[in-house]
Amino acid sequence: MRLSLSRDALPQLTCAIGGIKQIIIIIMDDQGCPRCKTTKYRNPSLKLMVNVCGHTLCESCVEMLFVRGSGNCVQCNTPLRKSNFRVQLFEDPAIDKEVEIRKKVLKIYNKREFDFYTLKEYNDYLEQVEDIVFNLTNNIDVERTKQMMEQYQRDNKDIIQRNKAKLTREQEELEELLLQEQQGSEQRRLETLQEEQRQLQAKRKNKQALLDELEISKLPAAVLLAQHKDRASQLETQIEKQKQNVKPANIFSTGIMMGQTVSLASVSRVEEVLYVYQPLCIDTYGPPVPELDQLGRLGYLNHVRTASPQDQAGGYTSGLACHRAVQDAFSGLFPS
Amino acid sequence: MKLNIEGLLVYFPYDYIYPEQYSYMLELKRTLDAKGHGVLEMPSGTGKTISLLSLIVAYQKAYPLEVTKLVYCSRTVPEIEKVVEELRKLMDYYAKQTGVKNDFLALALSSRKNLCIHPEVSSLRFGKEVDGKCHSLTASYIRAQHHSNPCQPVCQFFEEFDAVGRQVPIPPGIFNLDDLKDFGRRKGWCPYFLARYAILHANIVVYSYHYLLDPKIADLVSKELAKKSVVVFDEAHNIDNVCIDSMSVNITRRTLDRCQTNVETLQNTISRIKETDAAKLREEYMRLVEGLKEANVARETDIYLSNPVLPDEILQEAVPGSIRTAEHFVGFIKRFLEYLKARLRIHHVVQESAPQFLKDIYEKVCIDRKPLRFCAERLRSLLRTLEIADIADFSAITLISHFATLVSTYSKGFTIIIEPFEDRTPTIANPVLHFSCMDPSIAIKPVFGRFQSVIITSGTLSPLDIYPRILDFRPVTMASFTMTLARTCLCPLIVGRGNDQVAMTSKFETREDFAVIRNYGNLLLEMSAIVPDGIVAFFTSYIYMENIVASWYEQGILENIQRNKLIFIETQDAAETSMALEKYQEACENGRGAILLSVARGKVSEGIDFVHHFGRAVIMFGVPYVYTQSRILKARLEYLRDQFQIRENDFLTFDAMRHAAQCVGRAIRGKTDYGLMIFADKRYARADKRGKLPRWIQEHLTDGSLNLTIDETVQLSKHFLRQMAQPFRREDQLGLSLLTLEQLQSEDMLQKIAQIAQQA
Repeated sequence: MRLSLSRDALPQLTCAIGGIKQIIIIIMDDQGCPRCKTTKYRNPSLKLMVNVCGHTLCESCVEMLFVRGSGNCVQCNTPLRKSNFRVQLFEDPAIDKEVEIRKKVLKIYNKREFDFYTLKEYNDYLEQVEDIVFNLTNNIDVERTKQMMEQYQRDNKDIIQRNKAKLTREQEELEELLLQEQQGSEQRRLETLQEEQRQLQAKRKNKQALLDELEISKLPAAVLLAQHKDRASQLETQIEKQKQNVKPANIFSTGIMMGQTVSLASVSRVEEVLYVYQPLCIDTYGPPVPELDQLGRLGYLNHVRTASPQDQAGGYTSGLACHRAVQDAFSGLFPS
Repeated sequence: MKLNIEGLLVYFPYDYIYPEQYSYMLELKRTLDAKGHGVLEMPSGTGKTISLLSLIVAYQKAYPLEVTKLVYCSRTVPEIEKVVEELRKLMDYYAKQTGVKNDFLALALSSRKNLCIHPEVSSLRFGKEVDGKCHSLTASYIRAQHHSNPCQPVCQFFEEFDAVGRQVPIPPGIFNLDDLKDFGRRKGWCPYFLARYAILHANIVVYSYHYLLDPKIADLVSKELAKKSVVVFDEAHNIDNVCIDSMSVNITRRTLDRCQTNVETLQNTISRIKETDAAKLREEYMRLVEGLKEANVARETDIYLSNPVLPDEILQEAVPGSIRTAEHFVGFIKRFLEYLKARLRIHHVVQESAPQFLKDIYEKVCIDRKPLRFCAERLRSLLRTLEIADIADFSAITLISHFATLVSTYSKGFTIIIEPFEDRTPTIANPVLHFSCMDPSIAIKPVFGRFQSVIITSGTLSPLDIYPRILDFRPVTMASFTMTLARTCLCPLIVGRGNDQVAMTSKFETREDFAVIRNYGNLLLEMSAIVPDGIVAFFTSYIYMENIVASWYEQGILENIQRNKLIFIETQDAAETSMALEKYQEACENGRGAILLSVARGKVSEGIDFVHHFGRAVIMFGVPYVYTQSRILKARLEYLRDQFQIRENDFLTFDAMRHAAQCVGRAIRGKTDYGLMIFADKRYARADKRGKLPRWIQEHLTDGSLNLTIDETVQLSKHFLRQMAQPFRREDQLGLSLLTLEQLQSEDMLQKIAQIAQQA
């Protein structure tokens, strides 16, 4: 029969899969100390440490080699301090080193997006930072890069100081989201709890009412039961309706979330020369045009249709049209 | 026959029509008129497909400017072929009636594996291999190399297609996959690329869900489909799960290891190219400085279906400076990878939201949110620049980059669950990071937003109102149609007790109870004695089935059953299952009959029809609840409750009932068919479960068929089967459940039809 086959085969199969996984685990645990050759597989409590050069040593080797607090790396001879040893977080120690360096660099290069006028400048800046980190991790031009960093640090002391406490815009958003999440879940938990309790109570009350009625009332039991059924279904629909109405109100009418800390990051200031109005000066190549208010006195207006009340409603005066016409007529009369 | 559906002339290729088909077409027409979306439920076996096709084709012919294209999405290749065959029938009928030659172009589209005609490539077994090999023959730079170096192999079919295929339009007609291949062979063109190109101007396209819902594929295939299209999702009762799957990412240790090798390859390639062809990298760099403007213009002009993996902000901004150069990007990926590795090295389960993850990643490896968001696009650009031929090898790193983009783009609707081992095997470390989508509306939103009408239809969509809620759209019509029957050919029975009055249920507390298992066995035994031909029995899970069958074997029940019928079992192995199915059908054919034991949510319950004597009775042992201890499911339930105000229990029951309905619906595939539907669990009798069954089943559930014992069930079944075994002719149906044109037009019939559709 088919059945017996599959049932017998199953445990064997899982055994095989288990074996494969065991092998994978062994491979995973194959990390070890390069000096004493202990591996994680042989000693599960093995703790690997990394220093600034990005080379691994296990904890006991560190204790042994750096008894005096400092010494040289076994692999690259870089002078190291014992206090700089950190637990290796990642499989590839180079990443540990890079992250270490990156954190250091980012402490200095902490300009934010709003410190730049355009996105392009910001992106160029980001690339520059990335270059510095890349150079430092891969030991390219270390001296020059370090000098550059120091130079930058001297030049931008104020900005660095100012930005130290500030989060980037994205981080602020993230914090906000996290806060919202927390509040939301808490609120919902309470709500559901209350809701459940209310429902339970209502149902219990209904049941009790039925029992009471059966006890006291003179109506036949069948009628009472039918009534009870009706009431129960009504209750059910009521609960259903309430459930749909529940919409958590956590928004002010202005659209701001309740309990939200409105981010008060200053708007980036544009430092430019203020705009100064300079009156327009047009060369018309013709005789000077009389001013608008002089048109009447000089008699120009006599030749123009006077504005009807309807025209004036829209702000039109006959002077405007006349002035335009005179300008037109005068300009370009003297060929230059 | 020619029908008049509210002023629209519809050609219907059969002489008779079911009343519900007419009603269905009415609703469909109203949906199209309103240019809105619709949810329509009609029982299986009542001709949904042909009703859909004939109405929409008629609509297209009548208003060619209103509806330019029909996109018909189905689930499997056989279903796609079935739709094309119906369409062919319809078009032949049009040609015969109108005398005009058919000017419609309809075609099916499937993967390269099903369409490739290249002798070497098509012989490969797996879809991934075919894709990879095809790509290595048709990529643009491979072809460029071929120009300078003729020894470089290319696909001659693609070359031929590229040279002339685009200018010459494919002639009007109906093309299924084989037709496309034939056409390709005749012309020497690649059928896959021909089909992909031709769907742009085809009138009707039939393909699988994934071409619209999976963002990675939809971006390639469907993004240029016209706005004025009608999209139909057939058999859509599982559409929310498809949506969720398409947006979820699972990362195992193996993925990360493969990704590691990918990164190394990238690094080597970069350093090689830097020596030989530094200009190329510089060119890419300059392009990235400019930003992804090209894609942005296309989106603004509304040519494309938007892609949820490619959020709008990305298109408007340039790639951040920190990942602009190739080396920096590789370093970035490396850091991300190491971070993930460190996260997978845990001993307890962690669940966190996307913002928590982002905060942690910034603290640990200083990765900002913004470069993460650009990760997928940046990687794609790099792979293109490096001219790496075999994309299939890079699936791991592509997956990781998609994960990066998704996790930084969506702060809601997703959850991250890291499990150090599987629940069943707590001793074996097998860490998995599930980045699971909980909101199906994210994947389907572009579809609803882009196309003027989206129709969701299936045999089992009850309760209707839950789909608009979980998919987040507003339908203009929601209707459920019942089956009009000349005789009640389905007989749903809810069995709640054994003959010993012990309640029958698959509830967790009692599922190991011997009395319950024995009663289930007795039920199957009794039924096997009285039901002719095939019986299909569904269990709630593979493990449960194994347990029950084992104890039936010990109690000798299995032996007794085998005196009456042969037993076949569905297993998780696809080949074994199809073999069992084949033999099952053989056994049914030769008259002795057989029993198929299978599992709800399995392959049999979803795709296989048991027409006529292949399924005279379906027994559903227990309520097929989904495994509720899974953390992914729990997270999803919580999300549903918070966002959509759907209670956990409601959703679980809904999900269980749609699968139960799907299972029992396998037996009735038409009006001449008949079958018993036995729900063997006392919980089915409760109003909240019963009310979630489709209306066409609920209608036939009377008070007399609830909470029966096995004896009563046997009596009722015997009676039903004897009645059904009487000869049944078409004349019996005519006028009641099968109509001619004259009957359709009579006054009282039209009134009756109006009642068939129940608006939800």
